[in-house]
Amino acid sequence: MNADTQSRNRFSVPLPVGALLVVVLVFVMLKLIRPVIPQSVILLYMGFVVLGVVIHLTLDDDRIRRFWNFFVRAGDEGPVLRAQRWALLAVLPLVAGWWAYDAVRPRYTPPVEIFQRHPTVGEEVLGRIQVPEWAANPAKWRAEDIAEGKKLYAANCAVCHGEKLDGNGPAAAGFRYPIRPADFRDVGTIAQLTMRYVYWRMTTGGIQNQFNSPMPRWVASADGPQVSTLHSYDFTPEEGWKVIIYLYRATGYEPRKEELRDYKSH
Amino acid sequence: MACARRLVTRYLFVVTAVAAVFEAGVAAAQGAPLAPEYAAPALMDSRLVVWVAAQLHLDFAAFVLAVPMFALVIEFFGWRMAKHDAAAATRYDWLAHEMARLLPAAYSLTAITGALLGFILFSAYPRFMGYLTNTFGPTFVVYPLFFVAETLCLYFWYYAWDRLQGDRKWAHLVLGLFLNIFGTIVMFIADAWATFMMTPTGVDHQGALVSLYDAVWNPGWMPLNIHRLIANITFGALLCAAYAAYRFLSARTENERALYDWMGYTGNLIALFTMLFLPFAGYYFGFELFAFSATYGVTLMGGVLSWLFIIQAIVIAILFIGAAYYAWLGLLRIPGSEPQRRWIPAFNVILILGFMVWATPHTMAASIEESTGQFHPLLGALGLMAPKMIAVTLVLVVLYVSYLLYRRAGKVLTVPWARTGTIVEWGLVGLTAFAITALGVYGYFAPADVRIATSIWQIVVLIAGIVVTFVLDLLLLRGSRTVAEVRWGSMPRRGQYVLVTLAFVIVWLMGLMGYARSGARLNWHVFGIVQDTSASAGLPTLGEAAIMVTLITVVFFALLAIAFAISAMAERGAPPRLAPGTREPAATSEGVRT
Repeated sequence: MNADTQSRNRFSVPLPVGALLVVVLVFVMLKLIRPVIPQSVILLYMGFVVLGVVIHLTLDDDRIRRFWNFFVRAGDEGPVLRAQRWALLAVLPLVAGWWAYDAVRPRYTPPVEIFQRHPTVGEEVLGRIQVPEWAANPAKWRAEDIAEGKKLYAANCAVCHGEKLDGNGPAAAGFRYPIRPADFRDVGTIAQLTMRYVYWRMTTGGIQNQFNSPMPRWVASADGPQVSTLHSYDFTPEEGWKVIIYLYRATGYEPRKEELRDYKSH
Repeated sequence: MACARRLVTRYLFVVTAVAAVFEAGVAAAQGAPLAPEYAAPALMDSRLVVWVAAQLHLDFAAFVLAVPMFALVIEFFGWRMAKHDAAAATRYDWLAHEMARLLPAAYSLTAITGALLGFILFSAYPRFMGYLTNTFGPTFVVYPLFFVAETLCLYFWYYAWDRLQGDRKWAHLVLGLFLNIFGTIVMFIADAWATFMMTPTGVDHQGALVSLYDAVWNPGWMPLNIHRLIANITFGALLCAAYAAYRFLSARTENERALYDWMGYTGNLIALFTMLFLPFAGYYFGFELFAFSATYGVTLMGGVLSWLFIIQAIVIAILFIGAAYYAWLGLLRIPGSEPQRRWIPAFNVILILGFMVWATPHTMAASIEESTGQFHPLLGALGLMAPKMIAVTLVLVVLYVSYLLYRRAGKVLTVPWARTGTIVEWGLVGLTAFAITALGVYGYFAPADVRIATSIWQIVVLIAGIVVTFVLDLLLLRGSRTVAEVRWGSMPRRGQYVLVTLAFVIVWLMGLMGYARSGARLNWHVFGIVQDTSASAGLPTLGEAAIMVTLITVVFFALLAIAFAISAMAERGAPPRLAPGTREPAATSEGVRT
């Protein structure tokens, strides 16, 4: 009995079986996480895992030899090893078959959308928005403006965005795809944005644009007949800014600064 | 004589090409007020043509700028060794020359694609180019002068290699130094134009020039200079490594295989070393963009280009993992490296986990069944900058540790304080990793500007950790006993295929990021000042961009293959740089054995 056969008969998981177990284990763990992880992300992760497994299997020639030898029948191999080989040879095509079937089977769900959290807006649009002096500096925000912002928020925004600004208002459950009302407490929302951008987002909305959001436009119809539509609501610019400073103060975030440096001539 | 003729012919060709474009530029600038805003000279979408020409030009320019940098350093090492080890000096000199082999043909292609780019820009965007010419007039005069100087230096440096040996080697090195200085200046000038389009300063709100100095030294200029300098070296080194891999795979003798194995190893090592700093150079550039205008922040990270950065993250991950895999395979060259190889599986796990975090999208592509409508409570947190910075910086620590282990392979430490020193060294590495993680966690909860500043501190900690531990490692290895020689040429063939893949990946990545840099301006020629009102002002989709980038990459490699074939024809009949029977580069893990 040569050394290779001895190692094959020792109680150990053969390399190909170990590799498959790692892949399956990670896949199952990812699948068990709740809320579910989207398939696109699982695919991305599994790509890395498979790459890591391939690297592990090919780190030296001995591993490669052990990997291929597992598939070659040896005269003195035990039944456990034989069973593992046949199981692996059966499982791999079955998984590949299921994967192919799953990719082409008819579905009734709409295709997956690549959603942009913060729609891109041109500088020529943002450039027209001026933050009023009283709202520009967080250190100078007045308590009465914040209080009024809070009142406006409670009356108009909280139904979707929630009393606690967590995106869980009574109407929020009605919106799910591709996005629910924003959770302002999350570090990925207003904390990442400038006040001008938040104002643009609030006054532009999404329901009548391409932004895939049910957000109406919070803008005064007096500002222009073109913005007064079925989905626009009356917020004067001043009211809008008050709501925005309330959002920042209530969440504890500072608005993102427009320019972090003082540039010459521009 | 033939060499001189070749030199003169190529020189004249390159200079003529540049002069033609320069003349066209000046003419266009003079006629700018009367010129139409846009034209379609090639009866095609001008933007696509500019895109292809610009990226090809950048690819070749990156190559010809980078290779002389490390080739000169290698040549310098060889020169320094000449007195005490002539054989080693010859090998180093061979390596430097071999890396420079593709330069003459690549340089011609740089000039051709540059001339093409200039011609298309001036004819398709006459008014905009007129504006740029008026703003940057003096630099448009200086640029060709430095280009000509660089051209002269490059051809003399390459073709006078054999003549300037021995006592005259210093002259060759000085020539190489000037080549690098002129090349860097040329890149810096062109960078001023490119970055002015992104972060314009030195002009008033109507775009009229106020200060040429401020227009040149705009906020994006120095970050892009640094980013390109580093990235170019990675790019050039990986292309040289791929060339070495090809030569390794087609080698007919053991000696040849050993030499090209060594060349591939050197190329990958240079690439890996520069890649350590590349993410941070990118962040520095990004930081200045964000600092200039918050709109860049939204466009690049949260808006229309955010998915591009997920693709970028995946491609960068492949680059790092591939380079690390090649380096790990390199341990197989050193008999008795088992103690070091033991760690590799653990490193592999850390690398894969790190890049899984690095590539996690903040907003996920989810079906209606999978979507919660909010950020994912677990993975959403990983999609932000702070965790990604922790992940990528720790990955870099692991790569650095891999290199330290490679240096130890086949060695026995002889200094009396070896054990204590090793404990302190690993302790410092651990402390570096801990500090990087702690800073990242702090940054996660901090406001955006503090978070960006924290990420810079993470880089400082990493670099400080590397410098301190590397010095310690040098002291530890002083006088160490070599128990096993590196067996050059014994690298598995799969390692060579990895090198070829890495070359393709880096060219593709450079194309993708070229698109991102240019696309971030959206519908502006000069951000906030000169608007792009042409029909093709909109951004192409990611799919279209990916196809274009792939096309450009394939064309680049086709042209490079032609350049390679030309250089191979030119070399035919030349005496071999290493005589048959020359000892293969017997080496320790530190490089060629002296």
